[in-house]
Amino acid sequence: MTTTEIASFILLLTGAVFFFAGTVGLLRFPDVYTRLHALAKADNLGLGFIMLGLLLQAPSPATALKLVLIWLLALAASATVGFLIARRARQNGIVPWQSGDRR
Amino acid sequence: MNTLLPILAVFLLGNLLVALLRVARGPTPADRLLAALLFGTTGVAILLLLAFATASAALLDAALVFALLAAISGAAFAQRAWREEQAEAAHDDD
Amino acid sequence: MKLSVAAVRAFLWRSALLAALWWALTDGRADSWGVGSVSILAAVSLSLRLLPPVPTTVSRIGLLRFAVFFFVQSLRGGIQVAWLALRPRFSLRPAIHEIPLRLPEGIGRVLLANTLSLLPGTLSVGLEGRRLCLHVLDAAAPTEVEVRRAETRVAHMLGLKLEET
Repeated sequence: MTTTEIASFILLLTGAVFFFAGTVGLLRFPDVYTRLHALAKADNLGLGFIMLGLLLQAPSPATALKLVLIWLLALAASATVGFLIARRARQNGIVPWQSGDRR
Repeated sequence: MNTLLPILAVFLLGNLLVALLRVARGPTPADRLLAALLFGTTGVAILLLLAFATASAALLDAALVFALLAAISGAAFAQRAWREEQAEAAHDDD
Repeated sequence: MKLSVAAVRAFLWRSALLAALWWALTDGRADSWGVGSVSILAAVSLSLRLLPPVPTTVSRIGLLRFAVFFFVQSLRGGIQVAWLALRPRFSLRPAIHEIPLRLPEGIGRVLLANTLSLLPGTLSVGLEGRRLCLHVLDAAAPTEVEVRRAETRVAHMLGLKLEET
């Protein structure tokens, strides 16, 4: 294995770990707001690492640019959609979980 | 050549499935909306991995369209929400 | 439309950006540039009509600094929330904070509200006028300091003046 392959391997695995953490957060966290934290942050980082790992295997610079473009679009989408879901939840009177509450 | 890519794609698919089951349970409608986020990130990641695993450029384009649609719908909703808020703020000033 | 320096500059910039986009979309195939150049020209003229060139206030250094800040902070945010999710002991102390923004009305506030959801520990849940409503994972964290830093970066990037609250 070349150094590039090893680096790509590590980046891809790191990405998968973040996706896994995001899913665990989704399952464990107590309300929609905390779950949004988990998904918006961990999954985006996961996608970022997967993108970087694949970038090292990209067959051409054009494909590499396309990967970066996809990632930036996904980032923008998550940021806006995450904010809108949280905002709508609050408008609809969903009360945030407090640390004394039962899960 | 690379066996890691399909394995990771399947792993993420499992992740997505578990997450979707959790999201479908709710309990609030806002929880179910989280599915939109899941497809925008995990869905795109799976497509990217499969595109490289099978060396098919078409899947890369599919991922691009996925991300593009997610971003555009996000922006459109955001703009609408922003206008609503401006209208509400103007209303409060009256 | 009067042909001004700004219009010519906008035309050249947008053509260059769209050409780069076309190049990426077609994987750099040489035989696609016939269709490509027509498409790029059409897209640029449409964009100039829909979004007329305005005297640009976006600072390039500001954009770069914001990008670096954003990547470092979102890395921190992801690691923090991953740790909170994976650690065996459950230790969330969420709270809602309201913070009056110093950014002027407009795109700056919206951009800040959107990016804060990817930064460590904060999630925007409402933006009414200048009042930003944040859900935070740790009530004791110095949220306001972080928000002020992000706010300063956004203002610098967009060339906006911060107002006193």
